[in-house]
Amino acid sequence: MALGAVASLAMAALAGCVSTSTNGTGTSTGAPTAVTTGGGVAPKDLSGNVVWWGYTPGSPVNEQYIAQFNKDYPNIKVTWKQTSIDDYDAAVRPALGNSSGLDVYQMSAGSANGGVAVFGGSAIDLTPAVQAALGSDWKSKLATTGVSALTVDGQLKALAAGAVFAGTIWINQDLFDKYGLTPPKTYDDWKNVCATFKKNNVGCFVQGANQGAFNIDTLHAIADNVSPGTFIKATRGEVPWTDPNLVKAFQLWKGLFTDGIMQDGALGQMQYPDANNAFMSQKYAMVMMGTWYSQYLIPNVMQSAMQAAGSTDKPFTMIPINFPDIAGTGNTGSLFGDVDYGQGVSAKSSNQEAATAFAVWMGTSTAGQQAIADSLNLIPALKSVTPNWDNVKLVNPDKQQGPEKDLVQRASAVTDNPRFATINADMNQALMQALSTVAAGQATPDQATKTLQQAQQSNG
Amino acid sequence: MTTTSLTTTTTAGRAAEADGRRRKHGTHLNGLPWILPAFVFVVGLIYYSVFYTGYISTLDWDGLAPTAKAVGLGNFTKMFADPVFWAALRHTAVFYVVTFTVQTALGFVLAAIMHSRVRFAMLHKVVIFIPTVLAPATMAPVFRLIYADDGMANWILRHVGLGSLAHPWLADGKTALPALMLITVWQWTGLTFILYYAAMSQIEPELLEAARLDRAGNLRTLWYIVWPGCRGTTVSLAMLGFIGALKTFDIPYLVTTGGPYHSTEFLGTYIYRMGIRQAHIGYAAAISIVLLVLAVAGALVIGRANRKGASA
Repeated sequence: MALGAVASLAMAALAGCVSTSTNGTGTSTGAPTAVTTGGGVAPKDLSGNVVWWGYTPGSPVNEQYIAQFNKDYPNIKVTWKQTSIDDYDAAVRPALGNSSGLDVYQMSAGSANGGVAVFGGSAIDLTPAVQAALGSDWKSKLATTGVSALTVDGQLKALAAGAVFAGTIWINQDLFDKYGLTPPKTYDDWKNVCATFKKNNVGCFVQGANQGAFNIDTLHAIADNVSPGTFIKATRGEVPWTDPNLVKAFQLWKGLFTDGIMQDGALGQMQYPDANNAFMSQKYAMVMMGTWYSQYLIPNVMQSAMQAAGSTDKPFTMIPINFPDIAGTGNTGSLFGDVDYGQGVSAKSSNQEAATAFAVWMGTSTAGQQAIADSLNLIPALKSVTPNWDNVKLVNPDKQQGPEKDLVQRASAVTDNPRFATINADMNQALMQALSTVAAGQATPDQATKTLQQAQQSNG
Repeated sequence: MTTTSLTTTTTAGRAAEADGRRRKHGTHLNGLPWILPAFVFVVGLIYYSVFYTGYISTLDWDGLAPTAKAVGLGNFTKMFADPVFWAALRHTAVFYVVTFTVQTALGFVLAAIMHSRVRFAMLHKVVIFIPTVLAPATMAPVFRLIYADDGMANWILRHVGLGSLAHPWLADGKTALPALMLITVWQWTGLTFILYYAAMSQIEPELLEAARLDRAGNLRTLWYIVWPGCRGTTVSLAMLGFIGALKTFDIPYLVTTGGPYHSTEFLGTYIYRMGIRQAHIGYAAAISIVLLVLAVAGALVIGRANRKGASA
């Protein structure tokens, strides 16, 4: 019965997709027409209540997605249920045991929240639905990282909404301009920039080093600067963690704490909310964040974030820059990422037809993907869709559009440099521990990498 | 006379015994429906959960997979060789001893002061008690700011000539745990105070009056009359504090997430880390069982020590 429902839905999605065309900028020219499906159900006739669990991106963006979805599927009521990032796994685990109260839920790659390796077992296979929606060559139409990261044992457990990439630093361009500074390109540049900011009582670089996932981002960026690809090989067990390039990366990581780059007391602070708030309230000029930060280029979204950080100032001009060449190798501009989240449909859901319609719409329809692209929160999963820059209002288009377009373009081209997909939860923990002990001087880079290697081996 | 009396007493005693048996029997029959809901709830939910957790502790399971691998006592063996587990136990012990001692001393002294003629006593009581009703989730970000390198704690130190002590308290493994203990003392001293305040109200005024007549000073009265008079409260607080220390989760999780480098890891945070973050539900269940055993054993030891102390 469930299979039949999914098949009929897939047909509906396919029909809807075919009837939707795009213009040159990827903008939807119309909602799917009411089409007859194999089961005789048109999108407008499909009804049901769908409870959608997740942790990102939050209000008001999720409500905007739902409103867009309801233009195509007016009789499906979607209720967004948000938990905090940290509590998501704990909250969704018991909810998945019920047939009601959870229909669609967010999953992500590797050791990130809602990791598909753990939570994918509770989801149906969406392959038939997406195949029907996009055709037999569906894989070529979707970002590779999204498909591979959410496939378990040959089954597509979730449809990626989009991907996020890290490796960038975001800077407050207004503060840089105010003090006549240019974005740092080398380690010496960076130290000089920080010295100038400190002289003017402005914080330089802020990181919540007590929230380890972001430390892993920084290490990854440093390691790619030292030797591109070595970090990923280590996570896959192809290179030992004791590789001299990785030891060097740990040394440079430690240097950020001892050379006045990282703010004092970083190990006692969280990336969210502490570092984020410090940057948003303009107390610090630089922060290690990824493409998910692009959403704050939009004035009203940034204003909300600034208000949440306790600032009543007007939105400021922030732009993404490459991680500085602190190793002096010339290897810069590395971006690494994977699917931010995908929508899975609970195998126990009593609304699977409507739930699958929603998951498929988010991941494959031009309208759904355009909404995601235009929010600048994610790099869309559907390759044909890019942000419609005519529709996207930026705080300072002259200064922001160029760097942002470049970031989106480069991120879309990344094929094999995952962020968390190759790091399981145990290695994630081991990495966070290694980074914090090195930062605090509790372990040397040599000792930390040896411990990491032991953890890797015991993990198989 | 004696015989008659004895006979009468014996007869009356038998009658009372029989009546007692009847009443006892009757109570059983009549009372059972009344306690049944609570009985079913306790046995059916709490004890079931305890035994189920015990069963899970013998599995290697992520909590969602349809199948789990039985590992016997493997999780316990692994746990006893895990340095983070022992660190969590150490932190719990230190946390309990320090917070209980400081809270008891402060709560007792404040309660004694409030029983004397203090101006604006009600206002003082409210101020002391308010932290107890504040949610840790709302206070955690505030304390991270207070303890930050440029936070208020260091600002105060610098302004009272103790700038050399200023440093990022939560970022240093040596000071993160004491910082958390200070938050806990700040939060829970109000409750200790209220309980001691109530206990002191129950002490017979005649006893205090007699002490005064015997020319006992304030300190002697407090130590020899009031403190023993509050013994039951102290024991209750000791038990609650011990169990609370074992269950400590919210403050370390929200303020430091057990870091840096596990320096503020407690059994509660470690159970969450292993069970939820790393999806080792079996291992987390094994730690939970140890936590349960420690809680029961600790309560028994404190209770026994109290009975011995009371009979001595």
